[in-house]
This record gives sequence, C-alpha cells and structure tokens, in this order.
Amino acid sequence: MMSSAWLIPLFPLLAFLILLAFGRQLKEASAYVGILATLAGFILALGAFFERFAAGAEDYYVAFKWLTLGDKVIDMGFEVTPINAMMLVIVTFVSMLVHIYSKGYMHGDDRFPVFYSYLALFTFSMLGLVISPNLLQVYIFWELVGVCSFLLVGFYFYKDEAKAAAKKAFIVTRVGDVGLFIGISLLFWYSGSFNYVDIFNAIQNGVMQPWQITLVGILIFIGAVGKSGQFPLHTWLPDAMEGPTPVSALIHAATMVAAGVYLVAAMYPLYLASPDASQVIAVIGGITAIFAASIGLTQRDIKRVLAYSTVSQLGYMMLALGTASVAGYVAGTFHLMTHAFFKALLFLAAGSVIHAAHTQDIFEMGGLYKKMKITGTVFLIGCLAISGIFPFAGFWSKEEILGAAYTSGHTGLFWMAVVAAFFTAFYMFRLFFVTFTGEPAQKNHAHESPAVMTFPMLLLAVLAIVAGFINTPGAPILGHWLTEGLRGVPAGEEHSAPFWITIVATGVSLMGIGLAYLMYGKKSVSRDIIAGPLPWLYQLSFRKYYIDEIYDVVFVRTLRAIGYFLNVVDYYIIDGVVRLVGAFTHELGNAEARVQSGQIQTYGLVAFLGIVLLVIGLTFVRGLVG
Amino acid sequence: MSVPLASYLLVALILFCVGLYGALTKRNAVVVLLSIELMLNAVNINFVAFAKFGVLANLTGQIFSLFSITLAAAEAAIGLAILISLYRNRSTVNVDEMDLMKR
Amino acid sequence: MDSMLLTLLTLSPLLGLVVLALIPRSQVSSIKLIGVLATVLPLILSFILYAGFSFNKAGLQFVEKHTWFAIPADQVSFPINYELGVDGLSMPLVLLASVIGFFAAIAGAVFLKKRWKEFYILFLLMEIGTIGCFTAQNLFLFFIFFEFTLIPMFFIMGIWGFVEREKAAMRFLIYNGVGSAIMLIVFVAIFMNVWTLNYTEITQALNAPNSPFNTPGSPGFVSEGLRTGMFVALLIAFAIKIPIAPLHTWMIKAYQESPAAAVLVSSGVMIKIGAYGLIRFNVGFFPEAATHMATFIGVLGVINIIYGAVLALVQKSLKLVLAYSSISHMGIILLGIAAMNTVGFQGAIFQMVSHGLVAALLFFIVSMIFERTGTADIAELGGLAKSMPFVGGIFLTAAMASAGLPGMSGFISEFTAFLGLFKVMPQIAAVGTIGIILTAVYLLRAVLGTTFGPTANRWLGLADAQPLEVIPMVLVLGLIVLIGVYPSVLSEPLQATLQNIVPRIGG
Repeated sequence: MMSSAWLIPLFPLLAFLILLAFGRQLKEASAYVGILATLAGFILALGAFFERFAAGAEDYYVAFKWLTLGDKVIDMGFEVTPINAMMLVIVTFVSMLVHIYSKGYMHGDDRFPVFYSYLALFTFSMLGLVISPNLLQVYIFWELVGVCSFLLVGFYFYKDEAKAAAKKAFIVTRVGDVGLFIGISLLFWYSGSFNYVDIFNAIQNGVMQPWQITLVGILIFIGAVGKSGQFPLHTWLPDAMEGPTPVSALIHAATMVAAGVYLVAAMYPLYLASPDASQVIAVIGGITAIFAASIGLTQRDIKRVLAYSTVSQLGYMMLALGTASVAGYVAGTFHLMTHAFFKALLFLAAGSVIHAAHTQDIFEMGGLYKKMKITGTVFLIGCLAISGIFPFAGFWSKEEILGAAYTSGHTGLFWMAVVAAFFTAFYMFRLFFVTFTGEPAQKNHAHESPAVMTFPMLLLAVLAIVAGFINTPGAPILGHWLTEGLRGVPAGEEHSAPFWITIVATGVSLMGIGLAYLMYGKKSVSRDIIAGPLPWLYQLSFRKYYIDEIYDVVFVRTLRAIGYFLNVVDYYIIDGVVRLVGAFTHELGNAEARVQSGQIQTYGLVAFLGIVLLVIGLTFVRGLVG
Repeated sequence: MSVPLASYLLVALILFCVGLYGALTKRNAVVVLLSIELMLNAVNINFVAFAKFGVLANLTGQIFSLFSITLAAAEAAIGLAILISLYRNRSTVNVDEMDLMKR
Repeated sequence: MDSMLLTLLTLSPLLGLVVLALIPRSQVSSIKLIGVLATVLPLILSFILYAGFSFNKAGLQFVEKHTWFAIPADQVSFPINYELGVDGLSMPLVLLASVIGFFAAIAGAVFLKKRWKEFYILFLLMEIGTIGCFTAQNLFLFFIFFEFTLIPMFFIMGIWGFVEREKAAMRFLIYNGVGSAIMLIVFVAIFMNVWTLNYTEITQALNAPNSPFNTPGSPGFVSEGLRTGMFVALLIAFAIKIPIAPLHTWMIKAYQESPAAAVLVSSGVMIKIGAYGLIRFNVGFFPEAATHMATFIGVLGVINIIYGAVLALVQKSLKLVLAYSSISHMGIILLGIAAMNTVGFQGAIFQMVSHGLVAALLFFIVSMIFERTGTADIAELGGLAKSMPFVGGIFLTAAMASAGLPGMSGFISEFTAFLGLFKVMPQIAAVGTIGIILTAVYLLRAVLGTTFGPTANRWLGLADAQPLEVIPMVLVLGLIVLIGVYPSVLSEPLQATLQNIVPRIGG
C-alpha cells in the first residue's frame, strides 16, 4: 500500500478537476464526488499507515526528476514515514468527515459545487504537503494550501468582512512564507539539497556551521509561525472564521494550521542540532499558548473563541517541539493528532449550533441543549477533551507536553502552560454553559441538525474520547513508533515526568471548569468580577491586546504613506524631469518657430544678406583686401 | 571692334541686381517670377560671355545657357500654373499671403 | 528544408500582410479572421521549431547565413550577412513572441473599434520585428528588427489608443528612440573595434584568450575602460526598454492609453527584448564587466521590485497597478542576471517567459473589464464576480500566477531567480523578498477590490466572457500551468546553452 501512497492526493485532485469541469451540471451531487474521493484517499492512507506501522517496516521513498538547475537536479516524489503516515490518516479522515458534514451545512448555497471544488483542491494540497519528501515540494503545497484557505475564507466573496479576512489571511501567512522561502533557499546552498534525508545527512556530517543551522532553523520556523498562527503572526486566524464553518473545522483547526507544527516536526533533526532555534520555538510557543488563551476568555463570537483556542493549542505543540527532546517531539505530534480530532469536533458542533441559531454571538444563544441533544453532548465531549480531563484524548497529550516542558528544564514555560490550561478550561466551559444551558436569550426555532451533519460529529466524538489511549505513559505505542527512526537524538536518558504534574494539570482544569460553572452555569459569581474593578484588563483581552490596531498603524498605514509619497516623487520628480526636458525642447522650438514668418521674400533677403556677409568675411580672412 | 569682358559682366550684374531686388521686394507673384527670369538671364549672359572670353574658351558655356533657358521656360510654366491654381483658390497673387506652410 | 525554417518563421506574418492588403477594408470580419489566422502561422512554425530543437546541443541551431552586402573600408570590405539562428536562450522567447502575437491579435479583434485593416498590417509588421529580434544573429539584423517593433507600435498606440494617446505614443517613441540611438552607437563602436557584427564572433573576439582584441599590447586590443563604457551604455539602452526605474515613465503612460493589443505585445514581448539584450549582449560580450557590476545590477533589481510594488499599492487604476507591477516583476529578471550563475539566468529567462504570459493575460482581463464597465478605477468597481464569475475566477488565478503561486509559471521563475541570488548575495536577495509580500498585497488589493465585495447595481447586468475571449485566455493559462507544473519544458533546452555562457563569468 505504501507504494501506491502517491494516489492518495490524486483522488481529491481528480475530484477537483471533475468539479471544475462539470460542477455546474452536477449541482449538489458534487458532494458525492468529493466524499468518494476522500473516502478512497482515506482507505489508501489507512493501508499505508498500517503497512508502515507493521514491525520492521522501513520508510518508503520514490522520486523523479522535475527540474534541472545547472548541475543540480531537483526531484519531485513522495515518501512514507511514521509522521507523515499519521498525518495522511488524520487529513483524509477529517477531510472526509467535513465533506460529509458540508453536504448538510452548505445545502441550498448557490455556489455549492464551487465550495466542494475548493475543498477538494485543499485536500489535494494538504496531502501533497504531507507526502512531500523535500522542502521545495513542501513549499509548493504550503503555498497551495494557503491559497485554498484564502479562497475558502473568502467564499462569501460578496461580504466585505470575508473579503478583508481572506486578504489578511493570505498576506499575513505570506509574511511567514517568505521566511520559509529564505530558509529553504539558504538551506539548499548550505546543504546542497532540498531533500529531508540529504539535509539531515549534511547536518550529521557537519557540513553546515552551527550558525547556519540556527539561522535556517529560525527562518523555517517563521514560516511555521505564519501558517500555524503563532504570535506575532496570529492575527489572521481569528479573522479567517469568516469562512464557512466546515472550512474552519478542516483548514483552520485540524489540518492546515497544523502544517507549521508538522513542518517543525519533520525538520526535527535540524532543530535537535540547534538549541538556540529550539529555544526560540519553545518561547514563541509558550507565549502564544497563554496569550491566545487570555484573549479567548472574553470573546463573544463562538467561532472566534474556538479560533483563539486553536492558536493557543498550536502554541502548546510548538512549546513541546521547542524542548528539543524526544519526549517533546512525541508530545507535540501526539497533541497534533488529538487536537485535530477534538477541535474539528468542536468546530463542527459550533457549525451545527450556528446552523440552528443563525447567530454566532454566544450571548444571543442559550438553552440550546434541550433542542440539540446530540450537538450539545458532542460539544461537551470536545470541551472535556480540550480541557484535558481524564480519560479524554486531550488529557494524555497535554499531559505529555507539560511533562516534556518540565523535564527539559523549561520551568517558566511550564508554569505558563499550566496557567494557559486553566484559561482553556475556563473559556471552553464558559462557551458551553452560555450556549447550551440557561434560558434562551431570544426566541429561536433551533432544531437538531440532519444526520449527515451529526454523523461526522459522533465519529469525531468517539475519537476525542479514545484517541489518547494510543499513547499512554504506560504503553507509548505511538511515541515509540514515531521516534524509532528519528535522527540526531541527543544521547542521555529521558526523564519521565513526575506524577504531580498530572495532578496539577487536572486540578487547574477542574478549577477552570468550576469557575465557569459558578459564573455562567449557576451564575452565583458575578460575570463582572474582573471586568468591574479592572475594566482596562477586560478591554485589553477583548480588544486582543490591540495587536490589529498596532499592525494597522505600523505596517499598513506606513506602507500606504510611503506609497503615496513615492507616487508623488514618481510623478513630480522622476516624470517631472522628463516633462521638463520635453517642455524645454518644446519652448525652444516655439521660440525658433517665431523667426519663421512664412514670408518667402524675407527668407530670400536674409539669405542674400548672409551671402554678402559671408563674402565680406571670407575676403577679410583670406586677406584679399587690405 | 570688341566689347571687353567687363562690360558684359557689368550688364549681367546690373540685370541680376534688378532681378534680385524685384524678387525680394515685389508683392505681386507675377512680377517676382519675372524678376527671377531676369536673374536667370543675367546668368545666361555670363555663360555666353565666358564662353567667348574665358580662360578655356569653348562652347560649353553656350550649351549651358541653352539648358538654362529651357529650365527658365519650364520654371515659368510651372510657376504660372501654380499661381493660377492658387489664384483660383484664394483669389490673390500676393507673395506675402502665400504662407500656407506656416499655418 | 529545415534550414529555411527560421526565415519562414520570422517572415511568416508577411503572408497574412499580403492577403490583408488585397481585402477591401469594408469586409471587417474577414479582415479580423485573416489578421488572427496570420498569427497562427508563426505560432505553428515556432512549435515545429521547438519540436525540432535538440536539447543537448550548446551552440546555435537552425543557422542560416547568406551574404547580404558589404561595407567598404580601407581596401578591405566587411560583409554584412543575413544570419539567423536560435539557441536555448532565444528558443523560449521565440515561442513567447509567437504565442503573445496570437493572443494580441485576438485582443485586437475583440477590443478594437476601427480601422482593422491598417491595424493588422502594422501589427503583423510588429510581429516580424519581435520574432526577428530573437532569431537575428548579428547586431545589424537585430537593430533592424528592433526598429521594426518600435515604429508600428508608435502608430498603433497613437491611432487606436485612448484619450491621451498621442502624448503616450510620442513619449514611447522618444524614450525608445533614445534607447535605440544609444544602442546603435554601441553597436557601431563594437563594429569599429572588432570588425564583425556576428554575436558568436564578437564574443570570441572579445573573450577568447588568443584573440588580438583580448591581448593587452596588441594593436586591436579593446581596453578595460572601453568595455566598461560600452557595457554601461548598453545597460542604459536596455534599461529604458525593460524598464528600470527611474527610466520607466514612458511605460506608465503607454499602459494607460494604449489599446489592449499594444499593451499585450509591449508587456508580453517587447520589454523582454531589453532583458534578452542584457543577457545576450551585456553578459555575453562583456562577462568581466558584468561580473564587476553584478552587485550594482542586483541593487537595481531590488529597487525595481520594491519601488514598483509600493507604487502599485497606491494606484487607483487597474491599468496602472499592472504597469507598476511590470516594473516590479522586471526587477526579478535583474536579480536573476545579477546572480551570474546558471540558476539565476535560468530564473531570469523563466521570468521573461512567465511574466510575458501572465502580464498579457492580466491585461487582457483588465481590458475586458474596462470594455464592459468603461472604467478601470478600482474604487468604482467591486463585486464583479457576481455578474462575471468566469472573469472573476480567471482574474484571481492570473493574479495568483503573477504573485508566484506554485503550480504556475510565476512561482518557478521567482523561485529560481531568488535561489540563484541567494547563493551569491543573500543579503540583497533577502531584501528583495519583501517584494514577494508586497506583490501579494497589491495584487489582492486590486483583484479583490474589483471582483469581491458587494456588487453595485449597475454592474449586475455585465456579460461574462464570450467564447472568443475564453479560448485564448484558457490557452495561455494552460501554458502558465504547464510551465509551473513541469518546468522542464523550459529548462531543458536552456541547460546546454547556459553551460556555455556561465563558465566565462566564473559562475
């Protein structure tokens, strides 16, 4: 099955081409094309996964010549390694569920086939990214997923907000992409190749200087920062919620935003060789985790809360990877997997709520549990999973992250992560209580979503409960398998995390849930307990630390001002000089034209006088007179 | 008896100056054309005079004067034709009003 | 008859020209048909050329050489030959010229409103010039073909343009006239020094170790200073054509006021002649001077990229956005050249072809919008994707190609050019990458401002693209995607030729 892994991305590509050509005729039947393609991909991906998972399996690599650059040949191809086999399964699975779910969610939309074609294109690109054996190919698909994200965020193109959000998503990630671009370009010349294997060989053989490794590592991480919405390039992700909700579940929760984490994980041998670059990742990850969580506390839009929680969780993953240890590597990728399940679940459930309530403001909902039992239950499961409550999936993976952070000596970051965990539990349950319990804020005719939407949610809910058992501290099956072939692992034994971390982590999560219950469930604690005495603190969080405003002034306005200034320079100085030369020549011509009276006799007279003068002059010069 | 070369040249000179004066000052285009004829004829006189009294006296001068006469006739014909068509269009033969190129 | 292929190709538009001359001007539809068909002939021939082109040979192929006339000087006389030939460097550009010629001929049929007969006659003359510039193998022929592109373009701009067409045409003519005058002076200077006009012979004379013109102390030695002087003069001449800021202002007016067909040819092919000349003459003849000036060219490239991009950001008119975007994209060609290595040159040539196709496509789309709405002002437009979904979609796709989206030609050219430069001048290249971000910013601003957002009522009834418009756009887009997905179609013919050029500059 591994040898046919290249087919996995091609199914969605085929679906995209079919929908592009016949979408208008297929109308809502387009959904089946997409679902079938992702189903086929999922089955193949499972096959490849299990084949790779079997004992004694080796990585599988195939490539063909794509482009000749002087004496260098650049290949395109695919490979199957533990981490990308895992990603293939996650991506095809979530994508398939989202394809099914969208059939209900997008029902009745004019551009239904277009939506499905974009989804298929995205799935193709994401799978292509995952399956790539070299950084150039990763970059190609990296950009393609960015464009698909842009297209889907801007799907409701007639809305000004969607237009602005799409633009922002594209441009902010583009900033990160440029970092990645510079990184892989330099890496190509330093190491002589784009291929993972060759690069890791070069690092192991000491071909690259330490400063080169660190520089390249940080540049590649900048790409990951943009894609995974890490601070300070996180601003696009919450805005991207303007897209249809299934898109948010697929792209902006489960797969594309995880691409940054995946890239860092895929380049792990490079980061293991550079403690400085790893430190940067850990710090950025830690800051992002707590920073985004603190914004999530006060947002009113159900999708935005989830978006900030995504940013925060991605920060966790980065923090884990930044510890530059085997435990961190396992924890980061493990959390990537569990997060894909429970966050996709939460988004789909949120979509179901929005579908029913026709609003995204949680304070306009309330009491939905009675009307939407399935949605409410799965949402609760998602909340428990993300809060890290035993035995849900998030418990195991978050546990490992905290453990990795602590044992690798990042004590400060560890405590930041603990506080972020408290915030996470609080805002997730705030969301749950406000949306599903209490009295309806306004009359609505909310009803449960159709089976085509609840079925994917139920499947994800099951995974959100059980996915964690694949890697428990007692039996780290996944971790063992993932790290088997990992190169560049520093010598020295790994410390296992002390048990009190589990207690602390679960404790703070329960405290968060409890506080949320008291404030929003039982309403025995005033909601204004913080916002009342410290309004600026509330505003700071609600306004997202004014980051958007700062960027607007520092970058957008400055750039535009430079643009207008240069426009003036271009018109008045550069073109001005040209026009001045033109005008001067023109005036000179005018002046001379005035001499030309058009009177032939005057010309004759002047010519005659000229001859006379010439003769007199010549006579004197030749000395014929005197 | 023979008239000296200087006399021929003097007559030609006077003739030429008269022609030049006329060509440069007269407003009537017909008179200007006539004046140009005068100047050409002054040249003819010089040709013939040099053909007889020149350093290398030969017939070339006389032949050239024949050319020149032919040319003058052609010129007068074309000039007058232009003048007539101009007169038909603009009902004037004044030289100072013929500045179409300038406009 | 293989040996006649290049002559046939270069002069093939003449056939259409003759037929057109025989058709009365009142038969508009047959004139349009003949005009478009006349450009299909060179298109087919150039694909035949590509098919017959051998990828492994480094030197010229399809060479034709006939003595034409001779210039007498000091007892000996110097023959001026008619010599054509293509190598890996000119091959892609010949293809580009014929593709764009076809595309622009359709643009003429779709968008022009008067005097089609005169237009197509001038247009076909211009096409001879553009193809000839790339097939010519000596300076004399090159100059003739170069002028052949200028004069018809002047008339096309001046007659079929918009409001300020005469001004724009004059400006175009004067700028480019100055450029070609400088070029002519250098060509004469080269001839007076090495007594030949053939590219290969000049390169040999100036660079071969045993050449008398390259041996200090020998009577014919061409000194370092003279070489640098000629290099700089040529650089200025081509800088006008490309254009390199601050010699770019002719282009702004020209893009704004010219008819679509003229801009397609100008942005698609003619400005590439400048870049081609830069590689063929500047780098080819004076490799040492080029190596010395590489950093300078790199800096110029970065300035062009960022200057063009920042200005494109604040333009009100779509046409001006595209004009400044062209300046920005030409900067990438300069970066590739500045790298002075195989990867960089490859990037530069990729970028010539890619930008030719993409810019032509973009301008075609903008012309469609302009024709339907009567404006190119971004603020006035908006929400066009609702009434013209196809146009909206292809506009976005073309913009993405221009912004260097992988899977399309823009990416591969941008990537290779930058990759080449990162090897030698990482700092300059890193500054240049700011342009990549800015490109995305101004293109999205322009495209989203036009097609996204709420639709004004008056734009609701616009007609989407017609078949005559769809077919060429899809064809060009197909080429863009083909190059993007499988760049070897372009890079393979280049390899052997570049192996020939690069060693001389020590890259």
